[in-house]
Amino acid sequence: MSLRGLAKAFDGKVAVAGVDLDVPAGSFYGLLGPNGAGKTTTLSMAVGLLRPDAGVARVLGHDVWRDPVQAKRLLGVMPDGVRLFDRLNGAELLAYNGLLRGMDPAVVDQRAAELLDVLALGDAGRTLVVDYSAGMKKKIGLACALLHGPRLLVLDEPFEAVDPVSAALIRDILQRYVGSGGTVVFSSHVMEVVERLCSHVAILAEGAIKRAGTIEEVRGKRSLEEVFVEVVGGRTATGEELAWLSN
Amino acid sequence: MAVELTAPAAPARRVSARHFVRLKLRVMGNNFRGQGWRIALFVVGVVVGLWLAATGFFLFAAPGLADEGRYASMVAAFGGGLMVLGWLLLPLVFFGVDETLDPARFALLPLPRRTLVTGLLAAAAVSVPAVAVLLALCGLVLTAAVLGGWVAAVVEVVGILAGLLLCVAAARAVTSAFASMLRSRRVRDLAAVLLAVAAALLGPLQLIGISALQETDWSRLTGVAEVVGWTPLGAPWTVGIDVAEGRAWAAPVKLLITALTLVVLLVWWSRSLESAMTGAASTGRAPAKAGPTGGAVAQLFPRAAGWAARDRFGAMVARDARYWWRDARRRANLITVAVVGLFVPVLVNLGGAGFAMDAEQGFAPAGSASSPLLVSLSMVFVGVLAAVTLANQFGFDGSAYAAHVVAAVPGQQELRARMTAFSIYVVPMLAVVAVVIAVVLGRPAWLGVIAGSLIATYGAGLAVNSFVSVLGAYALPETSNPFALNTGAGVAKSFLTLLAMLGTGAAAVPMVVAAALLGDIWLWLALPVGVAYGVGAALLGAYLAGDVLDRRQPELLAAVTPRR
Repeated sequence: MSLRGLAKAFDGKVAVAGVDLDVPAGSFYGLLGPNGAGKTTTLSMAVGLLRPDAGVARVLGHDVWRDPVQAKRLLGVMPDGVRLFDRLNGAELLAYNGLLRGMDPAVVDQRAAELLDVLALGDAGRTLVVDYSAGMKKKIGLACALLHGPRLLVLDEPFEAVDPVSAALIRDILQRYVGSGGTVVFSSHVMEVVERLCSHVAILAEGAIKRAGTIEEVRGKRSLEEVFVEVVGGRTATGEELAWLSN
Repeated sequence: MAVELTAPAAPARRVSARHFVRLKLRVMGNNFRGQGWRIALFVVGVVVGLWLAATGFFLFAAPGLADEGRYASMVAAFGGGLMVLGWLLLPLVFFGVDETLDPARFALLPLPRRTLVTGLLAAAAVSVPAVAVLLALCGLVLTAAVLGGWVAAVVEVVGILAGLLLCVAAARAVTSAFASMLRSRRVRDLAAVLLAVAAALLGPLQLIGISALQETDWSRLTGVAEVVGWTPLGAPWTVGIDVAEGRAWAAPVKLLITALTLVVLLVWWSRSLESAMTGAASTGRAPAKAGPTGGAVAQLFPRAAGWAARDRFGAMVARDARYWWRDARRRANLITVAVVGLFVPVLVNLGGAGFAMDAEQGFAPAGSASSPLLVSLSMVFVGVLAAVTLANQFGFDGSAYAAHVVAAVPGQQELRARMTAFSIYVVPMLAVVAVVIAVVLGRPAWLGVIAGSLIATYGAGLAVNSFVSVLGAYALPETSNPFALNTGAGVAKSFLTLLAMLGTGAAAVPMVVAAALLGDIWLWLALPVGVAYGVGAALLGAYLAGDVLDRRQPELLAAVTPRR
């Protein structure tokens, strides 16, 4: 995936001010940034959900905004803060997404059964997705993104609100996916997860990429958290104020 | 380190209702910031409110202006009573109570319940409807002044102020009680549907009521008005009139009735407020149902869509068909269409006034009242009503529509699938309407005209609404409170609906003209022509609007995604 000069402003307020990013094929790419840095906006523009004011997004050589059908065929996306078709149960939702992607019904059946089984969602049976817990919703969202076997997986905050067991499961699935030649881009603000999983990392703040490269290049000798705080700025300790808290 | 928590340095200042009112005004003001269209909608709302207020004012003032003491207490009791009922029921029916100040937001603040209730009540009274109602009610003050001098007028002022508080408190108490009752999603869905049925029945009942009124001796109603005047529905409004008519002793008693009711309502409200504040977040998980049957794909397709191919088009039809049943909002719309679509044409064609009598003697054909032209017109209405349900079809899906954007679904296919899924429910319904109307009128030969006009309008309506839904989509709130409505969304919704209805009506004109001009031969031609016209229009609409949709997918997604 390569992004060139992606920019977006909402009502005159700049959310993303020209993002350039190259994600090598086969990498496990973490997009780090504080709240409101523009992570979701950037990823939405990269996958065709939000039309950029300027810039180009390419997926494996296909321009997402000029040639959307080809690009979107290769993409698996899990947006954050977006509802699923949640009045369906898990199996129905997977079947729907599969058929929407023009897959063969027999293949959909088989993959859906496997995914539900692996993600421990089979027990939910015919419970509608709207009644799932937050973690279960993340898992079914991931299953929807994986179902059609995309070459590039773009995940917005895949580990938010997920319990440790499910998180480990998701990590394992993603590592297998990258191991077999897939590419993953995901956003997060949890340093530990990024440090543990990623081969590459980019730090996004105030709508622009501040650092990008392999994880060794970005953090050097220090911990990722130190680098992150330094890049993003802002205070992490209190001074003389708030004295009344401890009196 | 042991942290010793001390009391706040300064004693907390008392919070009064004034703070709530100011907070509400501030929130309203911030909502407008940089949102030109919201201001415009608000202004429209104010203008409409003022217009209604003026109408109400003259209705209430009429007995005074005409110096007709006889009707004064009747107008006060019935008009005021209807006002209370309106405040009680309308928020439930239209799922709209202004949640600018959501009680749940105050859950963590150390506020006594009494302060909270009075504050929220005061804030609720600061709204366009409340002000409009107050202005309208001033008509009663005028009436009282003309009939009984300034003493009566002053008493009436006290009365209408108490009455207004009663109205606001009633609206709040009822919606709050419902909101906390409807904690679980299933109960909520069910309630939304029941309310939709009730709302849909309101219209027909009103028509029956009006036709009944036309035959009733008005003077007999004075007694009823007197009784209503002693209930909380009418008590606050009639005090001034009573003074004017020399029953000064009644005024304090009636004011006491009002005050007691108000207290009861406030206590009820504060009870349900507590549970709404603490429990609003929990949604209650439904127990897992029995294990799946068959493969994932087989599960997706309901029996009604079993014929569809297992491909993209079929999947969208199946999903949409499931949604029309499983999504309470959509189901409520569907039921409204069914009920109104059946009742209104029956009433129109039998003639409003004659209905009450005819009902007693069985449905006698009221041949003189109806003609193929009138029937066509009423069928156009039903078709328009059915199709306009789709005016915000993408809004129903909300941000879930992202799945279609990500999968690059072709727009034309998408619109055709949505039309098909909706028609699975609506076409049988229209068939029932056509047969019932033909039977009720005792004119089986008109079946062709009836069905033809219906299908033609419905098809044209699908086309028009495809455009409206793609170009004018708006977000519906994603909330657990079924009564919440985005500020301004109500007005925007009415505009769009009106636009779609006008467009559809215009598109159906040829069918009506043909019914008026062609005479008997039209009885045979109407069905084939109507079906061809309807299907052709729908397909053409999907073709053209689909093109627009292809270019606007991300913009449409942004439009239907609720702002958080």
